[in-house]
Amino acid sequence: VVAEDSVLLREGVVRLLEEAGFEVVGQAGDGEDLLRKTRAHKPDVAIVDIRMPPTHTDEGVRAARAIREELPGTGVLVLSQYVEQQYAIELLGEDAAGVGYLLKDRVTDLEQFAEAVRRVAEGGSALDPEVVSEMLGRKRSGDPLHELTPREREVLGLMAEGRSNQAIAEALVITERAVEKHVTSIFGKLGLSPAAEDHRRVLAVLTYLNA
Amino acid sequence: MQDNRAMTSLRRALIGLAALALVFGAALLPMILTSDHDSHRGAEAALILFGGWGFTGTGLFAWYRRPGNNIGPLMTAGGFSVFLAALGFSNDQVVWTIGSLCGGLFYAIFIHLLLSFPSGRLETRFERWLVWVAYLDTTVVQLAWVVFTDPVKDGCDNCPANPLLVHNSAVAGVVDAGQVIVGIAVIAAMVGILYRRWRKSAPSQRRATGPVLGIGGLAFGLLVVELLIDQLNLAPDVEDPLQISALFILSFVPFAFLVGLMRTRLSRAEAISSVVGKLGADGGRGALRDALAEALGDPGLELAYWVPAQEQFVDALGRPAEIDRGEHGRMATIIEHDGRRVAAVLHDADLEEDRDLVEAVGAAAALTLENERLDAELRATVEELRASRARIVEAGYEQRRRLERDLHDGAQQRLMALGINLRLARDRVGSDPNAAVELLDGSLRELNETTAELRELARGIHPAVLSDRGLEAALNGLAGRSHVPVEVVATPDERLPKSVESAAYFVAAEALTNVARYAEAQRATVSVVRTNGRVEVEVRDDGIGGADPARGSGLRGLADRVAALDGRLEVSSPEGKGTLVRASIPCE
Repeated sequence: VVAEDSVLLREGVVRLLEEAGFEVVGQAGDGEDLLRKTRAHKPDVAIVDIRMPPTHTDEGVRAARAIREELPGTGVLVLSQYVEQQYAIELLGEDAAGVGYLLKDRVTDLEQFAEAVRRVAEGGSALDPEVVSEMLGRKRSGDPLHELTPREREVLGLMAEGRSNQAIAEALVITERAVEKHVTSIFGKLGLSPAAEDHRRVLAVLTYLNA
Repeated sequence: MQDNRAMTSLRRALIGLAALALVFGAALLPMILTSDHDSHRGAEAALILFGGWGFTGTGLFAWYRRPGNNIGPLMTAGGFSVFLAALGFSNDQVVWTIGSLCGGLFYAIFIHLLLSFPSGRLETRFERWLVWVAYLDTTVVQLAWVVFTDPVKDGCDNCPANPLLVHNSAVAGVVDAGQVIVGIAVIAAMVGILYRRWRKSAPSQRRATGPVLGIGGLAFGLLVVELLIDQLNLAPDVEDPLQISALFILSFVPFAFLVGLMRTRLSRAEAISSVVGKLGADGGRGALRDALAEALGDPGLELAYWVPAQEQFVDALGRPAEIDRGEHGRMATIIEHDGRRVAAVLHDADLEEDRDLVEAVGAAAALTLENERLDAELRATVEELRASRARIVEAGYEQRRRLERDLHDGAQQRLMALGINLRLARDRVGSDPNAAVELLDGSLRELNETTAELRELARGIHPAVLSDRGLEAALNGLAGRSHVPVEVVATPDERLPKSVESAAYFVAAEALTNVARYAEAQRATVSVVRTNGRVEVEVRDDGIGGADPARGSGLRGLADRVAALDGRLEVSSPEGKGTLVRASIPCE
């Protein structure tokens, strides 16, 4: 299901998704419509604009929560025009499973977009790289982040985006083994307990970055 | 009203006295000129008219100008006593007798004048006693002398017969000598008192008493010498010229008195009553200033009113007034009412020694001052509002211009370029697919950059997260984007009114922008605290300080934005000690 009040953009997203091999079962113009269609079709994933009628503020975030609560089998990917960690944390901060937060620009990169949709559909998470880099870039005094090597920072960023070790390895062109070593080192340096599942890792990293 | 009526009746009385003096003097003229027992009729007549009219004229003027001061009435009385003494020139025996009896009265009045100048009051018991003695010496003792003196036998061949004569005897000589000795003693005591007073007086007081003491002293000195010569029969031929020159000088004394009196400031009581008397009269703006200027004798006096909200003094039109200027011999005295600052009186530095007078007069006018202060405060507020409204409007235009420029130079240009690229790609799809793909890839990149730019622009106009999620989220976002480590220390738990949140956010945003640009800080903190019906926004850094709030338009705009909500913006930025930007906004 795709929910987006701008018809032009919605059609575009639908075409992109269909091109990437997804089946779009419903289209919605506002939050209520979205809930109705999601209940009817029980899709793998709902792609939701953050800002929809009637208030044009954060309907998307609220609808996403409602869907996650009511239909845990449906992943929700929120498309937003804001690079604001606040929304990301609201969405992913408590339970990152099956949730994603992407900037709308990302849809033009079909491969990345499709990957994120797939991840969310499978119960993983997706967080926009730009939001992650803002979180990582936040200046803190006496920050253990400074102790990370550049490569470790890269790995941390990709982890926060919700990628699996395999995906990270592919992205950085290293072995999965190397990724695992980096991850252990990062968790050690930041004082986090290692988590097995990708979305739990996202949660841990987000919690850490937002602290 | 009451006062005006009192003024009018006083005026009428004074005009009556002036007319009386004119008639009296005019009537004396033929009498002196026809006197058959005087050798210097012309000179005497001139001196008497000059002195008598001089004293009454100046006395009445002084009386009118300073109704609360006794100097005016005393000078008037002195003038009439000159005329009374001149009755001694009469050939009629009754009139002549009255003249003889009043012959010395002028001296007593003159002593009284000198001792009570410039306040019009005799300050000590000794002075009062001295003046009493002078009056007794010139009235009762004079009578005793008249009773025992037959002028004809005393050497005045053409004098009329003395109707009061009891018996011409040697007693007269004794009385006369006694009178002179007492007179000289009184004068000596007076000279001593005046000398001491002169030494103790301040320069501004000397300016007032100088002319009186100079001319009066000279005239008196001559009279004393003349009296001594007369008593001791030393040199009879210099006696008359001496007396005439003494009288001549004496006739200038009233003018000296007038000059001195006008130079002296009003006494405390006089000044207060002068101000209070004028407060009732509704003279409009500036009337109070004029009243104070007159009461304090400082024509250049100015008033400045305290405006607590702006923590500064303003003039009557509400424009900021500088009161700390030490130049040009001006200084300020602060007037308080009920422990609160009301106004500042800017006056001549000469008044410094009379500062309590300024304060007393200010206190008497405090209520009126408070009224004018409120008026000035209102004007100042209106003035400030007008200015800040103009600045806000201007800032609005400026913002639109900038926005237009950003859109035009940024997004619009990029989109046009994009259009061209797409056009080119479309033409090449068939002929050169590889080139088309390259063009399309470039277009996508361009598109992404454009979106990012528009996103930033939109956030600068108004961050959506602020209205959706409130200050904490928005400030955290701000902190996250800052190039300097920023800690958001405190934010209110509840949502604040939109306008307050927005102002607080932009204060923080602008302050953090400045921190990143100029402060060279290691870290900064932001706190927004709600206390006592106000929201206090503080942005503090540990940088180099020295920020000048007057310089940047950013801070000025913020101040206006905050002022629009009745709030205040303060910037404290000591050199090398970091910068603190604090906004305090009312929020019930």
